[in-house]
Amino acid sequence: MPFYDALPDYPLRHVLTRHEQAAAHAADGYARSTGRVGVCVATSGPGATNLVTGLATAQMDSVPLVAITGQVGRPALGKDSFQETNVMGMTLPFTKHSFLVEDPNELYPTMRRAFEIARSGRPGPVLIDVPKDVQFAATNDNGYRRLKKAPPPVESPGLERTAMLLRSAKRPLILAGHGVTLGGAEMELRLLAERTGIPVVTTLLGISAFPDDHPLYLGWPGMHGQASVNRAIDRSDLLFAVGMRFDDRITGAVHKFAKDAKVVHIDIDPSELGKVVKPTVGIAADAKAAMRSILGHLDDISEGEGCEQWREELATSQEPERRRKESVRDEYGPIQVMEAIKGTAGPNLRLVTDVGQHQMWAAQFFEFTKANSHITSGGLGTMGFALPAAMGVAFAYPDDPVWVIAGDGGIQMNIQELATIREFGLNIKVAVLNNGYLGMVRQWQQFFHNRRYSETPITGPDYERLTAAYGLSGRTVREGDSVVDAIRWANEQEGCTFLDFHIDPEANVYPMIPSGMSVNEMIEEDGA
Amino acid sequence: MPEPATGVALNTVEVRFTGGMLALNRLLMTLQNKRMPVAGFTLGRDGEGMRATITLDCPPEQALRYTAIISALEDVTEAGPAQTVEVALLETAADWRTAAEMAGIEAHEDDGTVVATGEPEKVDDFLASLGDGIDDMVRLGPVARPEGEAGGGV
Repeated sequence: MPFYDALPDYPLRHVLTRHEQAAAHAADGYARSTGRVGVCVATSGPGATNLVTGLATAQMDSVPLVAITGQVGRPALGKDSFQETNVMGMTLPFTKHSFLVEDPNELYPTMRRAFEIARSGRPGPVLIDVPKDVQFAATNDNGYRRLKKAPPPVESPGLERTAMLLRSAKRPLILAGHGVTLGGAEMELRLLAERTGIPVVTTLLGISAFPDDHPLYLGWPGMHGQASVNRAIDRSDLLFAVGMRFDDRITGAVHKFAKDAKVVHIDIDPSELGKVVKPTVGIAADAKAAMRSILGHLDDISEGEGCEQWREELATSQEPERRRKESVRDEYGPIQVMEAIKGTAGPNLRLVTDVGQHQMWAAQFFEFTKANSHITSGGLGTMGFALPAAMGVAFAYPDDPVWVIAGDGGIQMNIQELATIREFGLNIKVAVLNNGYLGMVRQWQQFFHNRRYSETPITGPDYERLTAAYGLSGRTVREGDSVVDAIRWANEQEGCTFLDFHIDPEANVYPMIPSGMSVNEMIEEDGA
Repeated sequence: MPEPATGVALNTVEVRFTGGMLALNRLLMTLQNKRMPVAGFTLGRDGEGMRATITLDCPPEQALRYTAIISALEDVTEAGPAQTVEVALLETAADWRTAAEMAGIEAHEDDGTVVATGEPEKVDDFLASLGDGIDDMVRLGPVARPEGEAGGGV
């Protein structure tokens, strides 16, 4: 109450979401798309507990966030007071840091420190819990204590050794992760790739760190990554991994991952080095600074002169995938939806995906040429993320087209935010790939549980009528309808529109490397 | 799954931190959350704040990675490897000075009691070399001290 009483006196734009989880995801979407700190606020008790999923999502993907929660007054703390909850204790495992402000004079420096912690080093969410009586107390700007930790130095003997490895490798690959965009190192990545001629692959969160239409870009590996990219990693003799953490969705069976490759691992968080894959060279440094320094050791290389034979081999290996993609682009289904959105939205498109099959299809079939234009929940895999996260993106980039792609499971988890979107007139287009299932889980049940579709069939509302009830427009699209016309119609409407694409209930995402297995066990098509 | 205990490599990490119970809670949560193989945990407080001595049962390179995780906590002002030493108190008529020198430990006499301090394995060697010459003995168990700290009685 004291916070909201004071709010109108300050030049802050406040967005009242309909659920606190959505507030956290919206702040997350803003932060991911801008590189700035996102902020969300919740009241004590259930308001604070509702933030939990959003904070965990941000922590897993290293997103800078400051969450401010109200707390009962200091005299009431520890007495099971109305709406008292230990939000600090609850969120300890998935916040970068948290504060309980018990002294009003500490409020101002705490706020400033929280923002610096959130964005410094490896970014992450910071929680500030403020008791009600502290909010009422008068306080001044009474100074600021700087953080104790400086960024890791880039002077490392590993840099020169890395340059030597890059020169001598015959089948090298650059594997770029989210740390590249978090560190604003897209240009350095491009310079390094072009200088050495080394092909680039990205993690799911690294997508858009390197332009998809660049001739050196191969795609992304992992459980549902391109088969040719997984095979390229398997064949590589040097993996230059930067700003990534060898997530199990990338490696599968670790002992079989890139088994013939030397590994250079650069990450700002020293605890990531050797956590999963033991590097030949490990460098704890900011991606931008490290790649700049490595480029300094490669001054004498002529641009793109290395590993020509390797690039030709990789180009050949990607041909079957290109042909397969061409052959299905005119068939009604998820791929056609992706192609139509891509074809009509223009180069400034910002795509926000939820979690599941559609997330993989989108990552596979879109081309991202702009940094931070692909927003998704990677590490935690939070269903319900996309719609509220898109609000944060739309507030950050009101003139850019923002599309949400979600499944019919995830979209129902934060569907109430259509009210917020309507209230603020946000120009968000929503495409739901509706297969009547929790599709990814169903796919696993099909492959690994003998098609026992236990609790995965789901029902949902009539989205046309639902969106109308929120004062928005929507359409249902079925096989036989024109996907392109529907997308074009959505683009032409003012504000938010909602397209409900009814797709094959048993459409699958390929390829798929079963959990804990390797590229050799990859499933590439139905019946394989 | 927590990483399996190796039982062969005990690495001691000395952690200094501020922030009281909340900071301690965060430290303990981090140990549990990252499944660190904690074999020992001792907590103390002095003029500079709180101090935890954590013994990790894992290879040294893993202990370094865990130390980096602990060090990244905002409340932690210092985290680094520590030496594990043991103190033995004994009464003996044997030549304990020569035995201590050969075993590479420190020893001195205090009011008739020999106070021997050193790495646990070396204390073992020292006591073994005295053999039946020990009349009475108490071993105080391993404790940590930051690496580089001057030796001497504990």
